[in-house]
Amino acid sequence: MGKTIRKNLFALNLFLAFAVVVCITPQAFAGGKVYKMGLSLAITGPTSDAGNPYSKGVEDYFNYVNDTKLLGDDKIECMIRDDQYQTAVTKRNFEDFLDQGIVFYLNYSTGSTLGLKRDFEEVQIPVLPASFHAGNVEDSHYIFLPIASYSEQVVSLSEYVVNNHKGDKPKVAMFIHPSAFGRGPVGDVEKSIAAGLNMEIVEVVEHGKDLDNTAMLQRLMSKNVQYVICQTIQSPVATMIKDAARLGISANAFGESGKITFLGAHYTGGNDLIDLAGDASENFFWITSYTITSEPGPGTDFQLSLAKKYGRDDKAANSHNYANGIMVAQVATEVVRRAKEKGLDISKKTLHDELNAMNGDNAYQPPTTVGPVTYSSTDRAGVDSLQIYAVKEGVFRKVGEPITSQYMKKIK
Amino acid sequence: MKIIRFFLTKCSGDRYIAMSYFFQIVISGVVVGSIYALAALGLVLVYKSSRVANFAHGQIIAAGAFITYALTVWASIPVYISFVLSMLITFCLAWSVERIFLRRLIGEPIISVIMVTIGLASILDGLIYLTPFGTENFSFPSFFPQEPIMVGGVSISWTQLVGVIITFILIGGFSWFFKKSTVGISMRAVSDDQFASMSVGISVPGVFGLAWATAGLSAAAAGCIIGNITGLNFDTLHSFGIVVFPVVILGGLDSILGAVVAGIIMGLIQQFAGGYIDGNWGLNGTGEVLPYIILLIILLIKPHGLFGIHEIERV
Amino acid sequence: MASNRWLATGNFFTTYQEEQRTFTTRLDQLIFSIFLLTLFIWPLLFELSRTYMLVVDNILIAVVAVLGLNLVTGFAGLISIGHAAFVGVGAYTVASCSRMIGDSHIIITHLWPVMIIAGGLAGAVMGAIVGLPALRLKHLYLAIATLSFQMIFEWTINFMAFFNQGQTIFVGRVMWLTGEVGRSDHYVFWYYVILIVIVMCGFGVRNLFKTRYGRALVAVRDNDRAADAMGMHPGLTKVYAFALSGFLAGVAGALHAYLYRGAGIESFTLHHSISYLAMAIVGGLGTLNGSFWGPAAIQFLDLQVENVAELAGHYMPSNMNLATALRPLTFGLVIVLFLMFEPRGIANWWRIVKSYTKTWPFRY
Repeated sequence: MGKTIRKNLFALNLFLAFAVVVCITPQAFAGGKVYKMGLSLAITGPTSDAGNPYSKGVEDYFNYVNDTKLLGDDKIECMIRDDQYQTAVTKRNFEDFLDQGIVFYLNYSTGSTLGLKRDFEEVQIPVLPASFHAGNVEDSHYIFLPIASYSEQVVSLSEYVVNNHKGDKPKVAMFIHPSAFGRGPVGDVEKSIAAGLNMEIVEVVEHGKDLDNTAMLQRLMSKNVQYVICQTIQSPVATMIKDAARLGISANAFGESGKITFLGAHYTGGNDLIDLAGDASENFFWITSYTITSEPGPGTDFQLSLAKKYGRDDKAANSHNYANGIMVAQVATEVVRRAKEKGLDISKKTLHDELNAMNGDNAYQPPTTVGPVTYSSTDRAGVDSLQIYAVKEGVFRKVGEPITSQYMKKIK
Repeated sequence: MKIIRFFLTKCSGDRYIAMSYFFQIVISGVVVGSIYALAALGLVLVYKSSRVANFAHGQIIAAGAFITYALTVWASIPVYISFVLSMLITFCLAWSVERIFLRRLIGEPIISVIMVTIGLASILDGLIYLTPFGTENFSFPSFFPQEPIMVGGVSISWTQLVGVIITFILIGGFSWFFKKSTVGISMRAVSDDQFASMSVGISVPGVFGLAWATAGLSAAAAGCIIGNITGLNFDTLHSFGIVVFPVVILGGLDSILGAVVAGIIMGLIQQFAGGYIDGNWGLNGTGEVLPYIILLIILLIKPHGLFGIHEIERV
Repeated sequence: MASNRWLATGNFFTTYQEEQRTFTTRLDQLIFSIFLLTLFIWPLLFELSRTYMLVVDNILIAVVAVLGLNLVTGFAGLISIGHAAFVGVGAYTVASCSRMIGDSHIIITHLWPVMIIAGGLAGAVMGAIVGLPALRLKHLYLAIATLSFQMIFEWTINFMAFFNQGQTIFVGRVMWLTGEVGRSDHYVFWYYVILIVIVMCGFGVRNLFKTRYGRALVAVRDNDRAADAMGMHPGLTKVYAFALSGFLAGVAGALHAYLYRGAGIESFTLHHSISYLAMAIVGGLGTLNGSFWGPAAIQFLDLQVENVAELAGHYMPSNMNLATALRPLTFGLVIVLFLMFEPRGIANWWRIVKSYTKTWPFRY
């Protein structure tokens, strides 16, 4: 028994060694420099419905950069690893990336971004996570949010409610994920209210794995709640809005009196919500900084052509998380390009400086977002403008123009 | 009574609304509970005959839902036929799982068998990740009328109603099967004493296979109903395999009636926790954890559940 | 002590002391000492990359935890599906101290050995509490009781602001005689600490089974009624097995908190409980050396699968699913195949190799 195992191990190692040689050889002959980057995310396990298209976006964009010689002869090699949403594995991947000399790191979950925050500080590497948790940038100099934080998204939604509500003070309930990811923005909304935002939070509901939300919805109705702002993932929102549609209490237009209008932050929406909730998602308001393929434009054309070029299916191609992945890869490529243009040596430090300088005239406008990416040493949230979308006849449609939050500045 | 009235008045001033709120919670609890019972049924069936807790049940539930979706939407088979077909497919799937993996472990210590089901859960995870269902979201086309059934301010959806009906049909069927049919009686005999039943000519492995297969069948039914309510998301669906454990323990692991009663009790507890405790006293999400706390208490005072066979054994 | 093991043809013990010795021959002792010495010296000779050092540290922490799990599941025969929660109790003991007094308080940074023991004690207390149902429950019911502890633990951490709602609570860097342990020495430093902990725990567990308490565990596993008749209290024995296992898990958790410089709920979920069980089974339940093989094998496998998956990803860029599905698939297959074909785990291969070399060139 032991012998065969040893034999197998030997064969496996031989295979691996061979494979490594095969992988390395083409690069050795390519000429130009290779800049290494790393991405660790949940391709399987919890939240993989978001992580999977995200990884495809990153992978495709970097392939695109290399194939179209966007950086001349230089190439970006981005290692993508699955961490199954476990911080310990993320840390292992990160250390491995460091050993391989990465100059830029892309991270995923809130938990691992916070958990590795001190490591990022120590090794001074610029990081773009897929989590827009406001706490990520606290006490940190190297974590940059790609778009406005969840707090900013939720506060913007609240402002939208206040500005467009007709009648008395709007009564709002919040439907949140039972974790820090969900609870984080609640405090900021409360602060905004204290700072003069004219609305009332009637209740904050933390959901579980509910199969029936009827009682909760009726309770909200009896308390005259007119708006529910969600900060969680798609699946629980889908269950809730299905129940609401069935009870006939979901509003047909924004702010319809006697009914409830549902609104949600980045990870509650997108095509995934429509996929899960079907017709019940009608008139769901969603806020994000990305352009989406149901509102075609140059950005989404680019997104779709990229997906086509690399053979992605329709679902991935139209996912806002695919756009999300493309966007972080674009930012990473852009800083490399800028540093190269200035004739600087590409290192963690120069890329970090480039990120910090990305403001004013130097702001970067990726095609797939609704506003420019601006970073500075004091503001490390990228795209500050947010676009509200609402589901009309089964697809998300733009509602008004991109907005920026007023109260986030006041409560800082 | 006083406490209930306190809760009622606390939640809203209006007495009438409070009462209908109360009844809504009761109805929702019963409906959710029945669905739990259906999801728990598969666990009970397997345990009843082979004394194995199946930790891969959630994955089979998810697989059942996905197969139904694939047949209905991709192969455009009418939904009723694909529902039955998916039950047949999971029937065969679960049977072959038993045949391939668990047959060899008859007579092994219980930890081995539990771990095999955990391993199986991981394998099924891997297989499902090979399909688009692992990471993408889907939802069934709506089969039923969207309008709810309203009775005096209390509402119930068609999906839920159909779910409850299917639950009771299946549970009634299985109860009859175990009480009256020869195969059912032989399954009970096996659960009672394997050696004695072997000596009267019952094929013990055959019974185990059948138990797994029927569990697979009920899992597919549960998967379709849950999938209809929550949408098809792999994370959500497979977690129900763990969520129903408190239910089966409360009911007593080997009682079908127990699963139904316990399912409904758990459904009620969850809905009442969500309806009256959450949001007060700074607590939230208690519906998630309360079943487990109750489970621990039950295990301490009445280990064999409400309807489980009480083996007299103290250590 | 027989001077040469090659000449020993049978059991020639004349006293109980002789039978209870840790090493039967001097050669055994020598080999073991050399082995230990190598373990301590090799990091000084080669420099392993930080990643691999982290992997090694990770394996060693898992060894401590699996030792604990083996006590309760392997030796005492009580299935625990909540072991990661006990590990979490240890980690959160350190983390909550750090939250209360500040993460670079002198107690955290200087008195870290005390904190590690405190983590162990907290784990032991929780273990005893969770073990209480064992007074009345057996088999599956007990397994489910531990499962519910796992769920309640996760909920508590996720819910309470004190535990930062499950997000990382930082723990500062520790001090050593040479000053603060910096980033470059971090993993090597903790390698030594964990190694010492393992040596102590390993001998502790080994010696435990020479005492009546250890033998009581095995007796209760094999037949609790017989054990009862012989004057042991099976219920209390089980509670105490849980407490011991909780202690080791707590120590592992405290080490985890220090190694990862913080504690977050993602590292102590049901998934990890299952991984620990898998490690114990692959290593060999109820064996001491199995607790070392199991974690090493599972983590090594995980790394290799990751490499293979990455390679597959290179060649099938649009087919990422195949590559990522490999991980749960192999994890499950390894558990199932071991249970089907080698239920005694890798420890059994070790036994075979040992007896082969011992009897070589003869075979039977």
